[in-house]
Amino acid sequence: MEGVQEQQQTAPTVQTNKKDVDMSGFKRDWNGNAKKRDGPKPPPKKVVQNQFTPMFEALRDELDQHHDRRERIIKASRDITALSKKIIFALQRIRKIDEELPKNIQAELDTRLADISKLLATIAPEIQGINRYRYARSLMCLEELVEALTFLHYLKTQTLITPEQLSPIMDDLVQKGIAPSEDVAMTDVSEPAVANPEQLEEKETPKVSLTQDDYLYGVFDLTGEMMRFATTSTALTGTMAGSGAEGDEQPRTIVEDMHELGSFFEMLPVGQGNRFQWEKKLEVTRQSVQKVERLGYDRTIRGSERPKGWIPDLSSGDQPEEE
Amino acid sequence: MPPMIDPSLFDQIKSKIEEDTTVRKELEQIVDELHQHVSFTQGLLSKIHSTPRSKYPTLLPQVEEGIKSQVTTVGKLSAYASQYPYYKYNHKWTRSLQDSLSTCLLYTWLSSPAHPLLTPSQLADFYSVPLNLVSEDKFHITTEEYLLALVAIIEDLSRLAMNSVTLGDTALAVEISAFVKDLHAGFQVLNLKNDILRKRVDSIKYAVKKVEDVVYDLSLRGLIPAAGGAAGAEGKKEE
Repeated sequence: MEGVQEQQQTAPTVQTNKKDVDMSGFKRDWNGNAKKRDGPKPPPKKVVQNQFTPMFEALRDELDQHHDRRERIIKASRDITALSKKIIFALQRIRKIDEELPKNIQAELDTRLADISKLLATIAPEIQGINRYRYARSLMCLEELVEALTFLHYLKTQTLITPEQLSPIMDDLVQKGIAPSEDVAMTDVSEPAVANPEQLEEKETPKVSLTQDDYLYGVFDLTGEMMRFATTSTALTGTMAGSGAEGDEQPRTIVEDMHELGSFFEMLPVGQGNRFQWEKKLEVTRQSVQKVERLGYDRTIRGSERPKGWIPDLSSGDQPEEE
Repeated sequence: MPPMIDPSLFDQIKSKIEEDTTVRKELEQIVDELHQHVSFTQGLLSKIHSTPRSKYPTLLPQVEEGIKSQVTTVGKLSAYASQYPYYKYNHKWTRSLQDSLSTCLLYTWLSSPAHPLLTPSQLADFYSVPLNLVSEDKFHITTEEYLLALVAIIEDLSRLAMNSVTLGDTALAVEISAFVKDLHAGFQVLNLKNDILRKRVDSIKYAVKKVEDVVYDLSLRGLIPAAGGAAGAEGKKEE
């Protein structure tokens, strides 16, 4: 008993802390009887102040800033990912490679890209300099966006966009999100409009830079989209998507493009940073390449049996079911 | 008709991947070196659990030597890593750096009876590297690294509280108790998210409990130095 009392004297902080934690309703005196509460309700539990408190408060503010920023980036990133996916779905409704996109699809693209612009502009200042890689894992949306933009570029030009061609497009997107003027509607993303000369603050415009990984993994995913596009367009139009006018003796088709992309990735050294992810993506790409080459084979061996321009008459097939 | 893939693209990307690989290998080498120094110092510091305070004057200078080697290697790391985006490679060294910081924090805490705790900026000065950079993309010590190093010394000290009693130095246990509890209160000021820091900080409560149990055992038996923590420590030291 004496020992316990001594503890109370030598380490009073232990005792008060314990009481605060253990008993929520009322306090007891040493003999276990409820203490009378004198006066109004005591103030809520005080935060323990000691010599370290100011330091921890400073550290807390730093951590809070980081967490808040990360949260904002993640929110925008999720939306950008969703919008990019919608762009990809819209592009999958296209049936042929052509500089001119169908009007309705171009219109959908414009609104989606305008939305992406606004989101990019909100997070652009947060991911400058050192923060670009700090939040790289929260910025998976950029990979998705690269996928959408590379796919769009492919459908228009039948080429793979380079990082150098991509970066002005990104800059343009951010720029348009920051200064929502009357020309918000984007007519053509692959040819960025010349920035207004009167925009003096232009040099201060933060940019959203793409890392090499954003680009490469975006292109990895592009192969999957190309495979889907090749499959549907071949099934529905009966021709293998590719360039060249009707008269061309040897138009380049998507089969060749896929082979070229496949070899491109096979030949690249494996990045040390994320070997596992790389191998996984490469395997998926291999499968896509093989699916498309199978399409090419089918087209060669059986394609000619179909009359040119023949389209499966789906409407008649549906009718019996409805009746 | 332009080709599918720009002919220069492959070489461009290939050389970037190769550069990345070189940087990683170089960093791994430096981090290995740091890791060796850290392990050595940690090993030396583990002797505190069996060394009475009166023998610290022979032990601590050796620890200091170990820390000096760490500081040299961190300087090397800082010079090399500052050429590249900090957070691209930060994960390669952060663990070893945290361990290094914790040896340094523990060393300073033990080296004076006043038990000073190095603040983040003091620690950064000690290593001659910047602290918590927000815009400049250079090597630095981050807030998280400092806090994680603190968690590590709390765990080590809670173990020392027990062992100091075994060595007959009950005053040290009481001093540790006060320090650990103050730090615990400090950590409760933070707003933590569900990340590694949160997970590690959650473990502090067990260290606090361990230390509290030791102090309780002492008080129960009237073994706590009468004149209170700090004075008792002074008295012990002079013996």
